[in-house]
Amino acid sequence: MDKYFISESEDTPRIEFDPENKLFEISGRSLPENAIGFYESVLIWLDNYSKAPLEMTVMNFKLEYFNTSSAKQIAKILLLLEKMAEKGQRVIINWFYHKEDTDMYASGNRFSKLISLNFSFIEL
Amino acid sequence: MQSIIEKNNDFIFLLFKEMEKDNLGYIYRGRFTQEITDNILLLSESKLEKEEQSSKTKKRVYSILVECLQNITRHQDDTGDESHESLGYFVLQKKSDKYYITTGNLIDKNNIDYIEKLIAKVNSLEKEELKAYYKEILEEGHFSQKGGAGLGLIDMAKKSGSKLQYYFRDISDAFSYFYLHTVPTLEEGQDKSLNPQHSLESIVNIHLKLNDNNVLLVFNGLLNQEGLMGILSSLEGQMMGSATLKKKVYYVVVEMLQNIVKHGLNPTQELNANPGIFILAEKDDQYHILTGNFINTSHVNELKTKLDTVNDMSNDQLDQLFNKSLFDFENDNSKKAGLGIIDLKIKSNNQLSYFIHPVNNEYSFFSMECIIHFQ
Repeated sequence: MDKYFISESEDTPRIEFDPENKLFEISGRSLPENAIGFYESVLIWLDNYSKAPLEMTVMNFKLEYFNTSSAKQIAKILLLLEKMAEKGQRVIINWFYHKEDTDMYASGNRFSKLISLNFSFIEL
Repeated sequence: MQSIIEKNNDFIFLLFKEMEKDNLGYIYRGRFTQEITDNILLLSESKLEKEEQSSKTKKRVYSILVECLQNITRHQDDTGDESHESLGYFVLQKKSDKYYITTGNLIDKNNIDYIEKLIAKVNSLEKEELKAYYKEILEEGHFSQKGGAGLGLIDMAKKSGSKLQYYFRDISDAFSYFYLHTVPTLEEGQDKSLNPQHSLESIVNIHLKLNDNNVLLVFNGLLNQEGLMGILSSLEGQMMGSATLKKKVYYVVVEMLQNIVKHGLNPTQELNANPGIFILAEKDDQYHILTGNFINTSHVNELKTKLDTVNDMSNDQLDQLFNKSLFDFENDNSKKAGLGIIDLKIKSNNQLSYFIHPVNNEYSFFSMECIIHFQ
């Protein structure tokens, strides 16, 4: 499967999904005006990937900041991964946060309680 | 503890109206550190980059801004006065292709006479004479002991190519507040006559209102995503406090401004951006973040219901509503409070004050305030 890559912009994150190198990472800031539009292709790629995924998928969230409309799109990504796990695939979520950024930790914590996936919290 | 909107319902609308009247775009009120000066310049530069075609104009305006900001930085420490009047003031506005630059700072009354005479002298000189006078003062080195106050003024007049306007506001027996106002001549042959004193008067009046509420930053103008990003980068440099506090303010500002970008209304429908105002104030160990924008009058009741609902909820209820809304992907146009409003309430942990000022049958002015405690 081809890799998916978008470089970081002022208001959108860097996204790299590279099954060959077992790397799945979303990093930077996400506050686009139209979050639904921005994440549409990301979700399509992931949906295709979920049909024939690696034995284990480790998704890194290294976000500095995201707005509430991006939060909904992140929820969609996590739901897709949750479905994969339900089908018996191994999925791990690494949620990175800075020590002083209690809100970012709280956001990850919230997701971990609402989604049945294995979350690891990693301090940057 | 008290919210600015609760104390004075129409504060934002009146400020918005007054600023709109004179096309006031950007106001900073506070200490002028090197970092803040750099930030204001950066923001002005990007504003110029977007709005100005002529590179000569860009350079010209930029160099005058540098001079003005240096003047404030240089003189703000002269007095040792710790009251809020010791804070500097900077205003940038653009009206029909002209830039209006105003600075303000506290001065010792003993200097008034010197400054008035100098401005009168500078305003009486033509371009070439001004250059010669600058050189003369520079060589003689008899400019003021205050570290080149005189030279700065002459240089500003030289770069501006227009007359300098000023105003002294009485503060105490020892101090006055000194406003300096100039409209750079950007093209040869442009009308160089003095601008109506009125525009400076209005800037002084706004300053007094900002003083009353300890407002640090005001942006007024058409808001779109691009403008929002500009405000954010400027905010990052101008806030004091811990990283956690700054981040919290950042979250709140993004949601409030994106509300304007997405749901605001442009009564003239001229451009793909909505008129709005953003204010950051600091009071009683709290940041007050205020926004104002137009909305459709037909949406007023709906919005009120959303805000009242969220304001009446306990933290647990809010938490549950947040979770529900997070996974509600069809929610965008419903009557339920959006994730943005719920998040504002959770992040600020304070009531969201708001006020709706009816403008006409079609639209109303909506102002809102979010308070964040220093921790």
